Amino acid sequence: MLSRNFRASAIHAVSILACALLLAGLLACTHSTSSQQSPEGPVRRELTDDAGRRVSVPVPTNRVISLAPNLTEIVFAIGAGDRLVGRTTYCDFPAEAKAVAAVGDTLQPSLERIISLQPQVVLISTSSQLEVFTKQLQNQNIAVFVTDPRDLDGVFRSIEQIGLIVGHTQQAEQLIQNLRDRTRAVEEAVKGRPPVRVFYQLSAEPLYTAGHDAFVTDLMRRAGAMSVTADVPGAWPKYSNESALAAQPEAIILPTGGSMGAANSTVTEALAKSSAALQGRVYKISDDHLTRPGPRSVDGLEAMARALHPEAFKQ
Amino acid sequence: MSITASGFVNSTSRQNRVTLRKTLISCLALFAALLLSIVLMSLIGSEALPVRDSLCALATFGASSCGLSQDQFDILFQIRLPRILLAAAVGGSLATAGAGYQALLRNPLAEPYLLGISNGAAVGTMIALVFFGTNEWTRPLLAFTGALVATLAVYRLARGRAGATPERLILAGVIVTTFLSSVIVFVTTLMDATRIRSFTFWLLGDLSGSSKALLPVAITIAVAGTLALTLNARSLNLLMLGERDAFDLGVEVGRVRVVVFVVASLLVGSSVAASGSVGYVGLVVPHLARLSLGSDNRISIPAAALLGALFVIVADTIARTIIAPRELPVGAITALIGAPLFIYLLKRA
Repeated sequence: MLSRNFRASAIHAVSILACALLLAGLLACTHSTSSQQSPEGPVRRELTDDAGRRVSVPVPTNRVISLAPNLTEIVFAIGAGDRLVGRTTYCDFPAEAKAVAAVGDTLQPSLERIISLQPQVVLISTSSQLEVFTKQLQNQNIAVFVTDPRDLDGVFRSIEQIGLIVGHTQQAEQLIQNLRDRTRAVEEAVKGRPPVRVFYQLSAEPLYTAGHDAFVTDLMRRAGAMSVTADVPGAWPKYSNESALAAQPEAIILPTGGSMGAANSTVTEALAKSSAALQGRVYKISDDHLTRPGPRSVDGLEAMARALHPEAFKQ
Repeated sequence: MSITASGFVNSTSRQNRVTLRKTLISCLALFAALLLSIVLMSLIGSEALPVRDSLCALATFGASSCGLSQDQFDILFQIRLPRILLAAAVGGSLATAGAGYQALLRNPLAEPYLLGISNGAAVGTMIALVFFGTNEWTRPLLAFTGALVATLAVYRLARGRAGATPERLILAGVIVTTFLSSVIVFVTTLMDATRIRSFTFWLLGDLSGSSKALLPVAITIAVAGTLALTLNARSLNLLMLGERDAFDLGVEVGRVRVVVFVVASLLVGSSVAASGSVGYVGLVVPHLARLSLGSDNRISIPAAALLGALFVIVADTIARTIIAPRELPVGAITALIGAPLFIYLLKRA
């Protein structure tokens, strides 16, 4: 009995300690960087990525592979497209990206192709869930840097980190400043206006929406919208048709177009007769701008704000 | 677990009358239970509806809203009820198809899944989605074609010099299943990432996404298919003795085989087109029907249809409410209920 109590309290103590360490790690997170100069090799720098891992990267990194379209867009937006030696088949923007060697898609990249391209750093997004893969790359002495932007600030942080990795800190700062200014302009414009209750239809058949953890939920909030599914756990929950109707959204957002083509361009049957649909408050916004947490997310933000609050943008 | 045919061979007209009465009584009881479950389950959902008003509106078949708001009325009649009816059609279809295969092939494990028929229908549905995305009618049509092709492939593979032995048939089914599974994975991988989400839906079995346009088709095929197989139930009873004996007793073995294959393919095709591949229904439900009502196909086939409808309605109600307002695919629930139930049935037998 005694030993069990002891064990329980020991486990308790250890878990508290683990939590404390994790918290400390998170707090120390992004800006804690340290450089070290080795006598003969290149300068290496230790960065903390969004998974809380300490990653040592050569500075500047000359050979980068991006395994997510938003990361490819960031690399090009800070003028480091020439450093990119590999991308996924989903990475279709900007057009120059298509000239870079493809290494498979985000979920199933080819390890052999990646290794043969001899990258120094591989940028991945948490949505690709590549734990085993990460270990294999690390065994090849290739640094793996994980990004997980949950909101616009997370995107700015990713831009800053990638800027540090490729040594384009100034371009990164300029880009962030520009995006921040545009974001602030949108927020100023919609400020004081009652938020529009919005249903975000990720796909109709079956019905998926944006939940609490989705990047676009933050984007909608900034655009003067209130997602009716903002408190649903998870990022992309499969959602009840009847709950979507019962939530009585004032507007429906359909991410479509771009790399989605014509997919998801009609409102789900359950909402076809909702007041939002009947009043024509269904807004199609480029999927690439809404679901890729990158520089073009601010385009998505502007498009949503203009659609939901047209009167706020009248000259 | 074995299916016996003793007692059917010498059935007299008196015995026939007894069987008919027993069939009618058990089917009426099951039908009453089915109606009750449709009403009860339409009162349950992720959104709470006023019970008394809902019952009143249901009693008038939607002619009066009985004080329900427009949204509540739409939830009940446009979303919940069609989904429950579709669950009934899918459950009835799969259970009937399973009962038909099991009787024809004299194999208690014969099931749309194990034989690869569901996968054939899934491939057909995927082709319809890829090439005729907007035309919903092509889905059940191509799903039926896929199911039929898979059935014929299994049957051809299984036919050796000594005819199609049950063991050979199941092995052929495993081959066709795994082959078609890799076709599905291949197509899914080739597809655009944005479409994968709707494809996983066909693989898991899910009733939330299908369009109401397919509901009348699914119900018609479920009812007609069950009737067609029930009308052949006597021949199927005799077939349990073996194809040669059945032939000697006057059963047109070839004709019955064609009827069962075509009808079961139709049933599987329409349910897969409407809801993807819902598992375990075709396996567990016919067993349950035979264990409780005996192995006479004249009773067990219609009973399996009704029990299957009931089973999927309840499973789908769990799927759409257990983590509301989020949802699970119904296939996950039928497997969760079905697998342990099947183990229990196996141990009991």
